[in-house]
Amino acid sequence: MNALTDGCAIVTGAGSGLGRALSLALAPHMQVAGLGRRMDALEETEALAGGNFLPLQADVTDTAQVAQTFDTARNIAPITVLINNAAIYPRRDFLDETAASFMDTVGINLGGMVTSTRAALSDMTATGFGRILNVATFADLHPLPASSAYAVSKGAARIFTRALIADIGDRFPGIVVNDWMPGMLATDMGIADGLDPAVAARWGAKLALWHDASLTGTIWEMGSEIPPARSLKRRIADRVLMRPRARPRQL
Amino acid sequence: MGRPISEPLSDIIARHWDAIVIGTGIGGGVAGRALAEAGLSVLFLEQGCAGLRAEETGLDIGMADPVARAVRGLWPDPVEAEVNGQSQSFFAPLGSGLGGSSVFYAATLERPEPHDLDDSPERSHPTGGWPVSYAAMLPWLDAATGLFALHGEPDPLSDIPCPELLSPPPPQPGDAMIMARLAANGLNPYRLHTALRYLDGCAECLGHKCPRACKMDGRSAGVEPALATGNAALLTDCTVTRLDRDGPVIAQVTARKGGEEVTLKARHVVLAAGALSSPRLLLASTSEADPTGIGNARDLVGRNLMFHLNEVFALWPGRAAGFAGPSKSVGFRDLYFAENQRLGMVQAMGVDVGYGEIVHHLRGQVERSWLRHIPGAMDATRIPAAIGAKVMGQAKVFVGLLEDLPYGENRVTYDPANPGRIAMIYRTAPELLARRKTFRHLIRRAFRGQRTAFLTHRPEPNFGHPCGTLAMGHDPTKSVLDASCRPHGITNLWVTDASVFPTSMGVNPSLTIAANALRVAAILTEEA
Repeated sequence: MNALTDGCAIVTGAGSGLGRALSLALAPHMQVAGLGRRMDALEETEALAGGNFLPLQADVTDTAQVAQTFDTARNIAPITVLINNAAIYPRRDFLDETAASFMDTVGINLGGMVTSTRAALSDMTATGFGRILNVATFADLHPLPASSAYAVSKGAARIFTRALIADIGDRFPGIVVNDWMPGMLATDMGIADGLDPAVAARWGAKLALWHDASLTGTIWEMGSEIPPARSLKRRIADRVLMRPRARPRQL
Repeated sequence: MGRPISEPLSDIIARHWDAIVIGTGIGGGVAGRALAEAGLSVLFLEQGCAGLRAEETGLDIGMADPVARAVRGLWPDPVEAEVNGQSQSFFAPLGSGLGGSSVFYAATLERPEPHDLDDSPERSHPTGGWPVSYAAMLPWLDAATGLFALHGEPDPLSDIPCPELLSPPPPQPGDAMIMARLAANGLNPYRLHTALRYLDGCAECLGHKCPRACKMDGRSAGVEPALATGNAALLTDCTVTRLDRDGPVIAQVTARKGGEEVTLKARHVVLAAGALSSPRLLLASTSEADPTGIGNARDLVGRNLMFHLNEVFALWPGRAAGFAGPSKSVGFRDLYFAENQRLGMVQAMGVDVGYGEIVHHLRGQVERSWLRHIPGAMDATRIPAAIGAKVMGQAKVFVGLLEDLPYGENRVTYDPANPGRIAMIYRTAPELLARRKTFRHLIRRAFRGQRTAFLTHRPEPNFGHPCGTLAMGHDPTKSVLDASCRPHGITNLWVTDASVFPTSMGVNPSLTIAANALRVAAILTEEA
């Protein structure tokens, strides 16, 4: 396996919004398998893609369904790309949550990502080659009211990215893993005057098809790399030592 | 690529093997391969995990969690060492997984010099010589050179041919530059003998696991070809806890596999758990007949532990030359035996030092001087270091391997209450320190007119090069093993790791481990 595009890309939540847009952006380059709960929505994505898109009905919280659909996908080609996109954002005050409803959200936003990642790694660790792009948000930094389950689960998802890198980053430098914040989008989950998901998907697809070990652990927002925060001491030291400033990469 | 024999565990346990090989590093891997290729049925037992073939894990001595270490094939626990009277606990550069330490190594397989093994009037040997002469070892050194696909250049100072040595690819600019610089100083550099097949897209996986069978190590040149013969099987996560002796033969091997105790039987047992672990297994194998362990009637098991002392130094070839890239594969033997003393060879380490390392070096100097009492002095080293890095460019780092000699007090210890722990007592002998002084003096003199700096200040044993703890010899009162690497008086236990070395030699141990494993496997095959 020399190129990501020789394999199969899996996009979760491919029946709507950003997941559909990402599938459409990837399909001209490689085989895409889209997971989603609604077959009719996935078939719409398939029709829009006009080829190279395999709709696979699955609930990402159902480990058996995910395993089965990944098997179907890897029968076409080994899984080289995974975009963990599936998520829900229920606006709900915590007093209106039950423990079960809260954990349902965690099950999709965090659990779905864990399940899909574990399944994709079976292929990627066999070859030492692959790309995992996690669609992330800054919702954990300053949780908004009526967003507790979303903020918690998406925050945990960012920790998952880092924890995954701690476990496999040194052993499999050829499996490139990072977080991407697509921005505020005009999707069901987003805001009415947000960005066209097709525009964001062009960045996301480009990032997902970029296989460079130095991307692992980086955070991207829309089309730009967000450099890691530097302490004041570090900044002064860098200035005194005339270190050239690393320029954030752009898509 | 062959797959492990997919027999159920119960069949593997029930089978009476021709040979059980304990340990899958170079010594075990190579011996097991030779036996399997000779048609014997071979069972490899490996304490660590099999790992995933595509891993590129490096040798991380900073990682502390034992589970994380074990998964990566690193020795999971710290080593307890009493070094020069001081107790230390640290992670040694040791592997514990398929291929042992060798999957992480820099694949430098250098051949020893005749005086490393032989006693002669001109170069007397401290032990009177190995029980195997250089001439007798030479065919096996050549065979191992071929088996490990060694690429490199013959040492210009030696007239012993290396018929199996393959030509290396054209040198990297950094290598070519450093060769020219060394030659200008009157030295005789050559391209090191490196166990890389240079397959298409070879990333020269020196210091980390190679995802393909391109770097040759205990796994790719040992266990994997053995399994491919169809005559061998492998049990990983299998820790051998004791051997049972019945008269002159080892009757059974006891191990823990998946929390269960299992008993395994074979006509021959090959012990290659490494020089820090093989003696512990013999010390653990006590019985009425062997109250202090198998082969230990004269209290020699675990003793005569040796390492090399690493003398690491930086050479600044000058700013213009500094950007030619790191040199990986250059060494010289001009100081190997000098001023009538056994010293060792010098090799490029494949790293360039820049700003960070210079800071570290200057801090070390400040720490050892009166400046350490001045607040901020440590941080102030950053500024000259930054200027230094800008002005002088990158430095090339070399290591001199100084031969260590056997002393009975230096030894691996065994605690029955903590059988899995590696513990040792080691003291740098006054005689070693005196040779070290000579070595450093000669290194400095060899680079007169060049800017150099030693990066090691105290004597630094290379804990990745342990040897000597089950030394072979003709005299049963002075050695654990005979010349066929069997404990004196035992007919079917063979040792093939660096434990058998009577002396540590002035080169990396790997080639000699492999050659000796082939030699011992040939004797075993003949007897089987």
